[in-house]
Amino acid sequence: MTIRTRLSLWYATVMFIALMVMGVLLYFQLVIEPRQEAHRHHHEQNEEAVDPDVFEDVTGIVLSCGIPAALLAVAGGWWLMKKSLAPVASLTQATEKITAQNLGEKIPRTGNGDEFDRLTEVFNSMLARLDDSFNRIREFTLHASHELKTPLTVLRGETETALRDEKISPTERERAHSQLEELRRLTQIVDGLTLLAKADAGQVALTLEPLRLDELVRDCFADLQILAEPQHIQVELEACEEISVRGDRHRLRQLLLNLADNAVKYNQPSGHVTMSLRRAAGLAEIKITNTSAGIPPEILPRVFDRFFRGDSAHGNTIEGCGLGLSIAQWIVSAHAGKIQIASAPSQSTIVTVQLPTA
Amino acid sequence: MRVLVVEDEKKTASFVRKALQAESFAVDVCHNGDDALAAASTTPFDAIVLDIMLPGRDGISVLKQLRERKNSTPVLLLSARGEVNERVEGLNAGADDYLPKPFELSELIARVRALTRRSGENKSTTLRVADLTLDTLTHKAQRGNTAIELTAREYRLLEFLMRSAGRLCGRMMILEKVWDYSFDPGTNLVDVYVRRLREKIDADFATKLLHTVRGEGYILKEAA
Repeated sequence: MTIRTRLSLWYATVMFIALMVMGVLLYFQLVIEPRQEAHRHHHEQNEEAVDPDVFEDVTGIVLSCGIPAALLAVAGGWWLMKKSLAPVASLTQATEKITAQNLGEKIPRTGNGDEFDRLTEVFNSMLARLDDSFNRIREFTLHASHELKTPLTVLRGETETALRDEKISPTERERAHSQLEELRRLTQIVDGLTLLAKADAGQVALTLEPLRLDELVRDCFADLQILAEPQHIQVELEACEEISVRGDRHRLRQLLLNLADNAVKYNQPSGHVTMSLRRAAGLAEIKITNTSAGIPPEILPRVFDRFFRGDSAHGNTIEGCGLGLSIAQWIVSAHAGKIQIASAPSQSTIVTVQLPTA
Repeated sequence: MRVLVVEDEKKTASFVRKALQAESFAVDVCHNGDDALAAASTTPFDAIVLDIMLPGRDGISVLKQLRERKNSTPVLLLSARGEVNERVEGLNAGADDYLPKPFELSELIARVRALTRRSGENKSTTLRVADLTLDTLTHKAQRGNTAIELTAREYRLLEFLMRSAGRLCGRMMILEKVWDYSFDPGTNLVDVYVRRLREKIDADFATKLLHTVRGEGYILKEAA
């Protein structure tokens, strides 16, 4: 039951009781007391003449006035509650729109200087504090990833310099190679983190231009064929309709290659990958389906989370920085699109990307 | 060949200098923008490796000053920020190439080599390494008397490797020149393509031309 209904009912009940009390009081004042007066004056005459009609009359009057009055009270109460609770509805609406990305926006005040205004104010100052904390975390990540780059550059450079020295022993060489591999991975993680931290802070500018999405898909499919070959994975381009979008060429290619690469990496030996680009409900829809062990439904919502690695059995054998899907999701949402993953365990996984057409 | 390295981080400057010296470049090092401008106006360099983030006058400003003074020495920009916009900004300011940090030493060397050789680049329409030839007009490849079928991407890869014949080509550089990717896609795309290309141009022949330099990249040359 909403507050409005509950308050209206209480209000109507109170109103009704008040009317009843008023009726009883009126009855006493208008009927009983005058009669007692009269009784005192004319004690001898008509001793027990309490006229039952008068009682019924008064009850009738009270009820016939009381019921409509109570109904009116319900209606009036409903209206009053609606009016006074209206700011709650707008507060709810405004609050619903708040996410980590727009904490800087303020909830509009009613300007009445009432309790709700005060509440809105409190909400806004809470949001401001949250925004501040979020910004600090973003800046921290951004600074951290920048700060890591200089020592990483030095480490990589010095390891490579060591490798160039022909006098080092095979053991040392092996160690340096392994270090270099890990440094390369670390570089990828730091690069991914920098990109996401910048995207969070709204510092990555996309170069939007009209693009033929089908050309990018075909291009990516050619790479997919090559990537799939060593694992004997069958690839198929099911459909590739001619569709134009407004987008950032580099970022969209990065997105497609990332998804294609995942479809190969998280596949079964001799599995399949199908890719398609179709127009669906006025949007450009790219679907990439692969045969895979599938993603359990309980972790499906988390696959876009940063550094989330679903399959712990796979986790260590598959290369990657753990940020690929987070970056993919960012690229899609920066193009005002949607990305979804659906999975049927031990059958297939389907990634769907929808982008607005140009 | 004389190269100026402008980098304020001492250790980075030091290993870059060593690596370039090992490739028989003469190397001068400056740690700030003003010194770099002074050095560049007194000494003719064949290339300048210029870090963007420098104390005082930053790399972009040094570059603009150089170009204003009609100094057209090829410049390779280095940056820890690695933004696409920054790359564009740098190239617009007159840079010849851009390399985000952390970079691979082999990438840096390959790029500096490319810059110093830019003017003398092979402009002929037929590229040749040993008995492998590539016609850049008809896109036909041939090894000895055997014609080799290439896909569009394989052609571009082979053309790039042949134009840089004898020089080490890093993965990032290949991704950039052949795929036009300015980011590391985190895939083994280059390795898989090179493997395929190797099957086509090397598998059936005694003399191998396409060599892997472990952890660094690939090189196309006659002798191992």
